[in-house]
Amino acid sequence: MGKSNNVFMVGWEYPPNNSGGLGVACQGLTEELANQNTKIKFSLPYNVSSPVAHMDIIGCTHPNWKNNQKINGTYGPPFFAYSQEFAETQPMGSIENFGYSFDISKLRKFPESEFEKRVNEYAKVVSQAGQAFRDDFDVIHAHDWMSFPAAEELKRKTGKPMIAHVHSTEFDRAGLNSGNQYIAGVEYAGMNSANHVIAVSYYTKNLLVHKYGVDANKISVVHNGISKLNTPPDFGNHHFAQKRPVIVFMGRLTMQKGVTYFLDLASEVLKNIPNALFVVAGSGDMYHELLFKTANANLSASVVFSGFVRDKQKNKLLDRADVFVMPSVSEPFGLVAMEAAQRHTPVIVSKNSGVGEVLTGAQMIDFWDIKKMSETIVGLVGDKQYSETVVNEQLKNVDSQTWKGSAQKVKRIYEKFFLGK
Amino acid sequence: MPKVCLYFELHQPYRLEDINIFDIGNKLDYFEDRGDEINRVVFQKVTNKSYVPMLNLLKKLVYEYPDFKFTFSASGIFLEQALRYSPIVIDLLKSLVKSGQVEVLAETYHHSLAALYSKSEFEIQIKEHEELVKEIFGVVPKVFRNTELIYSNDIAQLVEDQGYIGTLTEAVDRYLDNRSRTQMFVGKTKNRLPLMLKHAQLSDDVAFRFSDKSWKMYPLMVEKYLDWFRSYGENDYINLFMDFETFGEHQWKDTGIFEFFLEFVKQSSENDSTEFVTPTEVFQKYQKPFLKLSLDRDSLPVYDVPEPISWADVDRDLTAWRDNDFQYDTLRLIYDLEKDVLDTKNQEIIRDWRRLQTSDHFYYMCTKWFEDGDVHAYFSPYKSPYEAYTRYSIVLADLRERMI
Repeated sequence: MGKSNNVFMVGWEYPPNNSGGLGVACQGLTEELANQNTKIKFSLPYNVSSPVAHMDIIGCTHPNWKNNQKINGTYGPPFFAYSQEFAETQPMGSIENFGYSFDISKLRKFPESEFEKRVNEYAKVVSQAGQAFRDDFDVIHAHDWMSFPAAEELKRKTGKPMIAHVHSTEFDRAGLNSGNQYIAGVEYAGMNSANHVIAVSYYTKNLLVHKYGVDANKISVVHNGISKLNTPPDFGNHHFAQKRPVIVFMGRLTMQKGVTYFLDLASEVLKNIPNALFVVAGSGDMYHELLFKTANANLSASVVFSGFVRDKQKNKLLDRADVFVMPSVSEPFGLVAMEAAQRHTPVIVSKNSGVGEVLTGAQMIDFWDIKKMSETIVGLVGDKQYSETVVNEQLKNVDSQTWKGSAQKVKRIYEKFFLGK
Repeated sequence: MPKVCLYFELHQPYRLEDINIFDIGNKLDYFEDRGDEINRVVFQKVTNKSYVPMLNLLKKLVYEYPDFKFTFSASGIFLEQALRYSPIVIDLLKSLVKSGQVEVLAETYHHSLAALYSKSEFEIQIKEHEELVKEIFGVVPKVFRNTELIYSNDIAQLVEDQGYIGTLTEAVDRYLDNRSRTQMFVGKTKNRLPLMLKHAQLSDDVAFRFSDKSWKMYPLMVEKYLDWFRSYGENDYINLFMDFETFGEHQWKDTGIFEFFLEFVKQSSENDSTEFVTPTEVFQKYQKPFLKLSLDRDSLPVYDVPEPISWADVDRDLTAWRDNDFQYDTLRLIYDLEKDVLDTKNQEIIRDWRRLQTSDHFYYMCTKWFEDGDVHAYFSPYKSPYEAYTRYSIVLADLRERMI
């Protein structure tokens, strides 16, 4: 084995300092790669307080970053890739001093040069650190756009091949809006420079080919896995709202996630099931707007907002849900749908999502097709047997979708494309 | 020598504790089970800062000046909480009522907006309040004051139908039509219900501006204040209506508010510059049964108020409680539940439903001037109107769950 399986990964976030799926995916993937004899150096734009056992984490901080956000007692990245969930509970740096501690949703309002500055500073530090280890790795593997410039720089300096791993694109995140041109540009340049691209789904691959013009032959699809539960799920309606069906949305409150369609869906379902309770779990820049929409649609006693949930509360909500709905406008993968399925909850996912490719037992419906989604919910709630069939199909999907399998595919890509095996 | 009617409102809502979605269906008390004890904590804090020192001061003044009189009303949920958290407040109020120089007014038990939504609920809450007041103070109020002085022609009719001899409300310029606010008015009702209108300027000089250093009249001294009374004659009523918490809570002790009030009563009494009156003695003169002696209410000008007014904010309308979609929808929902709630005959459900009608819940959802961090924010236990709304909406979901 030895040297032939060594990789330098350029990351941006890692649990517990993660804002969403990116960190979780990096954890699942690296743990299994390590199990399969891969030595990993993993750079992060912050210093971790407790190292992990399966790889070397290299904190690559720039001296300009003094005020990174503190999460769980340690510092996180200079801005959060996709989320403001942490930001809401943390004091923000002020606009005046550009404290390097903004999340992206706020940053979107600032000049593009602000992202650029941070990302380029990270690139500088990573390429320096990476060069020092140049004899210890054969492949550079970068996760999403924040890491691409660093990986490109390192590739230039070392001549090693680079993989651009796409977990999410600006096209997805923008929802129906126009998105940030600088970010889209970084994504494009990164994929262009990369020797190979990994997409988290065929949905994403398709998008990379058609929206970014990337050569389809250059892209491999590696779906995310899902970790086994440490304790069995405690599914059932005993948790709360015992007397009525509970339908759950969980995700950032943004256009991308289609949360406004969830409100329209609630109005439609209530015509058939007046007692149905809809839970919106998450936070995001549409929060206040959604509250007003809810009240305006006379849904104040039928749609309730939990705020951002994590850990036990998140599990409880997924355990309790009678139906989980992910009406995303564009969803590269959608791990939370797998998590719901794992907790015996029938899932409805948008056709514009990657997770449906592996969670084939779930119901795939267009995010805008309120009528069909409503009928499906009414069916799932009213027909126990239907619901159980769906749940069992989904569980089979979940069981076969392991990180071990994902890691094997990644390894094969290393070997096939770069190591001549 | 103008007549001065001092009226103080005593009220504390039952604030919602930190209820979350996981509590739905799990039999949690909305107002105390979370362990926040927010209602006890607030009540006892205000007891120490305002109720006890001010009531003691009033007691002293009533004793020293036999012509000094004042009026108060207390919501049913204020009295409930006082009995529970600060019985000394009840004892002080009782002794004041006993003096004969203090009048108690009627209002809705739950400090609700029922007058705008449900006649039957309005009447029940008035009855409940009357019973509690009678039980504690041994008196039956003859004059009614609606929540936040909310008033319209329709509400006046409801009040008159309940047999009250008069009511209090705000003097709002758009309905005054340049008429003097210090005269007696009657409402546009079948029997021309007599009204006393709040003198907003002289009331708010004390209630809101007293400690405002940017006010050009600051600091307010009693001599100056009483000087402003001199332009009024013996047929004028200067109606000073305000929250009781003005003394010690809205205006803290160190602003000198207690000394100001003491001096105000002292100078008014000793110089015979004003005559203190209470609403009943004023309205009584216009009562039909005493026709021979009574004054003719037909001669009084009509205060015609087609759209509801109140004493709140600069708008003096309902927009503090009913302006945005949060407020409209939650108000609609809570009153739509009336029949279902009453049909359960479940006393706990009925009680909680009524506590949820308290106007403060809707006030906390006000977004009118949220950006300015104004007076609404000062009075709200929640971080934002959004939090006020989401909590209330979770509680509504639970209330419905209990009725399934």
